[in-house]
Amino acid sequence: MSFEPDQREELRRKFNQFADDRDPALRSQLVEGHLGLAEYLARRFSNRGEQLDDLVQVASLGLLKAVDRFEPSRGVEFSTYATHTIVGELKRHFRDKGWAVRAPRRMQELYLRLGKVVSSLSQELGRSPTIPELAADAQVSEEEVLEALEAGQAYRFSSLDAPGGGDDDDGDTLSAHLGGEDPRLLEAEHRAALSPLIERLAPRDQTILHLRFFVGMTQSEIADQLGISQMHVSRLLARSLNQLRAAASES
Amino acid sequence: MPAEEEVRLTVPATPELLRLARVTASGVASRLGFSYDEVEDLRLAIDELCFAVTGGRSQDGYVLMRYVVRGDDETIEVHGMASFAAPGAEPLLNELSGAVLDALVDEHAVFTDDDHGSPSFRLVKRRSGSR
Repeated sequence: MSFEPDQREELRRKFNQFADDRDPALRSQLVEGHLGLAEYLARRFSNRGEQLDDLVQVASLGLLKAVDRFEPSRGVEFSTYATHTIVGELKRHFRDKGWAVRAPRRMQELYLRLGKVVSSLSQELGRSPTIPELAADAQVSEEEVLEALEAGQAYRFSSLDAPGGGDDDDGDTLSAHLGGEDPRLLEAEHRAALSPLIERLAPRDQTILHLRFFVGMTQSEIADQLGISQMHVSRLLARSLNQLRAAASES
Repeated sequence: MPAEEEVRLTVPATPELLRLARVTASGVASRLGFSYDEVEDLRLAIDELCFAVTGGRSQDGYVLMRYVVRGDDETIEVHGMASFAAPGAEPLLNELSGAVLDALVDEHAVFTDDDHGSPSFRLVKRRSGSR
């Protein structure tokens, strides 16, 4: 953004005044005068699968912070300072949202929709559906189904840092669904050797891991037994394995 | 489809790009009529094995992926061979990975390729048809 010298001088005067009196009306004026900069920067981030409107909002928030924190006495141009603050805000937005960087919104939505389709089709067919069957039911192409599953993978990996998994919406009901403890779980010979790593996982994740890999149940069978969706089982499994790999390579 | 088809893919050995190894595996598995369960298993197995050859971090080099699809016995065979700038990397597979892979696929192996001295893997997964 460039200003004529007299505009620049006027701007400097306004910022000096705002630094003194914190006048809300002047604040609005300063913000509005730079919305173009916010929009320009938001546009630079708009190829990452987020709606431009949402990004402009994030950028405007950054602009607001910049106006509030700017110290004209430091001799830095406001536009330089604001660019830095706004870009920081946009980057934090993407970092917080995790998967948005990797997966377009359309794919996130399709992934979530497919979760329901997998459940209903599995029930209807009495077996795990094929990819073409999922595509037909969701009325999208097979490629889109595959792409959405991959988007889901990006999502589950991005949620790895959440303490305790952050997927505990159905954790409370787990023991109820399991009924008694399955002796096969406890007797699994691998348990002793692997327990130091596995014990780092949340109890539910440990159970799912055992059911899948040591008892040999399929993802759909585990989903049925635990009363959660198959896609959820799939996500939790992938997350657990990723955590275990990371832990194993550390040790 | 023909009795046997082969797809080849050369992927830079970085976690972000090795996702393409998973996508391709899903694509060829879907072509054989694998179920959602089986496709997910295959993807997890590819993850596990790619981790074994790269050590889970970006490496200077490539992983050469080869997917052999056999229509007659509804089988996918996947080969992954690392080609890293720094020689001498050993494939890494702990006991847990072995148990996990046993449950996910019909056959699996990690080894150092004799000709190239590179960490490599091979897996085989058959369509069950009954699920």
